[in-house]
Amino acid sequence: MASVFHRAQLAVPVAFILILGCVLPLAVLLVFSVFEVDLDAFTLVPAFSGQSWAQMFVNPVFAFLIGKSVVSGAGTALLAALIGYPIAVSMTRLPVLWKGIGSIVLLTPLYTGEIVRIYAWRVVLGSEGLVNAALKWLSVIDEPLKFLLFSPFTTHLVLLYNNLPFMVLAIWISAELIDKRLIEAARDLGARPIDAFFKVILPLTTPGLAVGVFTVFALAAGDMMTPSLLGGTSGATPMAMIDNLFGTAFDWPLASALSLSLLVVLFAFATGFVTILLRFDGARAVFRRGAR
Amino acid sequence: MSRLVILTLGLAVCFFYLPIVVLGIFSFNAASTMAFPLSGFTFTWYADLFGNEAFLGGFVTSFLIAQPVGLLGALIGLMAALAVTSPRMKFRAAFAILVLVPFLVPKTVLSIAQAMLMSWVGLGRGATALILAQTLVVIPFTTTILAAVMVRLDPRLEEAARDLGATPWQSFRRVLLPQLSVALSAAYSIGVILSLADLTISMFLAGRTQPLSLIVASEFRRELKPDLNAMQVAVLVLTALIVALTEINRRRRLRGRLAHIRDYL
Repeated sequence: MASVFHRAQLAVPVAFILILGCVLPLAVLLVFSVFEVDLDAFTLVPAFSGQSWAQMFVNPVFAFLIGKSVVSGAGTALLAALIGYPIAVSMTRLPVLWKGIGSIVLLTPLYTGEIVRIYAWRVVLGSEGLVNAALKWLSVIDEPLKFLLFSPFTTHLVLLYNNLPFMVLAIWISAELIDKRLIEAARDLGARPIDAFFKVILPLTTPGLAVGVFTVFALAAGDMMTPSLLGGTSGATPMAMIDNLFGTAFDWPLASALSLSLLVVLFAFATGFVTILLRFDGARAVFRRGAR
Repeated sequence: MSRLVILTLGLAVCFFYLPIVVLGIFSFNAASTMAFPLSGFTFTWYADLFGNEAFLGGFVTSFLIAQPVGLLGALIGLMAALAVTSPRMKFRAAFAILVLVPFLVPKTVLSIAQAMLMSWVGLGRGATALILAQTLVVIPFTTTILAAVMVRLDPRLEEAARDLGATPWQSFRRVLLPQLSVALSAAYSIGVILSLADLTISMFLAGRTQPLSLIVASEFRRELKPDLNAMQVAVLVLTALIVALTEINRRRRLRGRLAHIRDYL
């Protein structure tokens, strides 16, 4: 009997747990979305009604909120890529001993709770916070800058802060895999550092960039706490709307329809971005080398 | 290293640690409002912390919930990583995507879907639901950590054990597991840390259980007080301690293994 068992079979119980705990609840949303609510008895009535889906398409607020979270996620992913590249490329230049420390320094802020981070940024950006106090002390401003807190600026700064480590990590790993001789060859043949970056490093790290963009987009577009606690009046998100429909309004069918619409749109955009990035020649070259 | 590299990394570290440092400074600041300029050094806020029963109760609850999450997360992650790195795995890509689902689906959506299903079939929310839901979210992280170590192991060691007549269980227990001990402790630590840090899942599945993050979140909506700073710093120090202990453990094992090899030579 011993030879019958193989470790690949361990996938079965794990898949069972994940399907039961994650896929099933998401699939059941489809069922809930066609149910009806009896608001007098506060119960869910099994039915086959297209009411929630009709609302989803008719009422523009849902499309607006989903669109907003897509823009938010894509903006954060773009910013994270622009800022993440210099950091990731710099990390590849660290001496070997420092790389382990570098990865700990990079990942530790991720371990602080979401509420801790949001709280800390309120102290940094508040009207009597660090930034305003410093600018006042330097006599750059007389009145505290109001837009620093409870604005789209705050939301995106903190979304960037929350997700930048994932982008840096993804680009860093793929930059470490580049054959250093390719960069040296480019330099020897007279390429300036900036040319070497655009002609060698950037194309060969597109797979890492794709992983980073996918991850940051999904996490930033799906973040509810940051916009709602730091975005002020601009902080409405589809997630907060779902929370509201589920908890306060007791409209589970509508909450389910909105959840599913959000998931489908986010997934479509995320795969779209990755497909575009992986079409570049650099990504193809990396995969060809990997296949060989 | 060029100056540009040092400058870039310096700026990055400043950005990543600025909020944490500011939090630390204010937890020792004498004034009860959080504003610059600073007004003197005090331990008052930390002393207040130890007198605050709600905080301490929440802390104990969070800690007790984090332990099973860490253990279950490491165990299921081990199983998933063994499967995904196995040469005989058939649906590798599909399985990898399934493992990543809890990481990629917005936590609010997933938690609400779980809460709806649970109340529809009549299961109560509470500590058990919270532990299970947090474990699911931890699985992508623990699987990645363990699989990353497994792909770097020498498969010939296991093959040798099998050739010498070891059963699959014996070769796992005697050959593979010792090589994974450090990665397993890292996976456990990640599970504990993510559980302590979680707020979103707790909001929907904790029921009447009150972990620390929920207590802090409800305080947060009212006003900012420096004892909350002290609380956050205490949580941060604990998290940093777990990270440091994991790293020290890793280095000690590594050195131990090197010494072992030297003895052979």
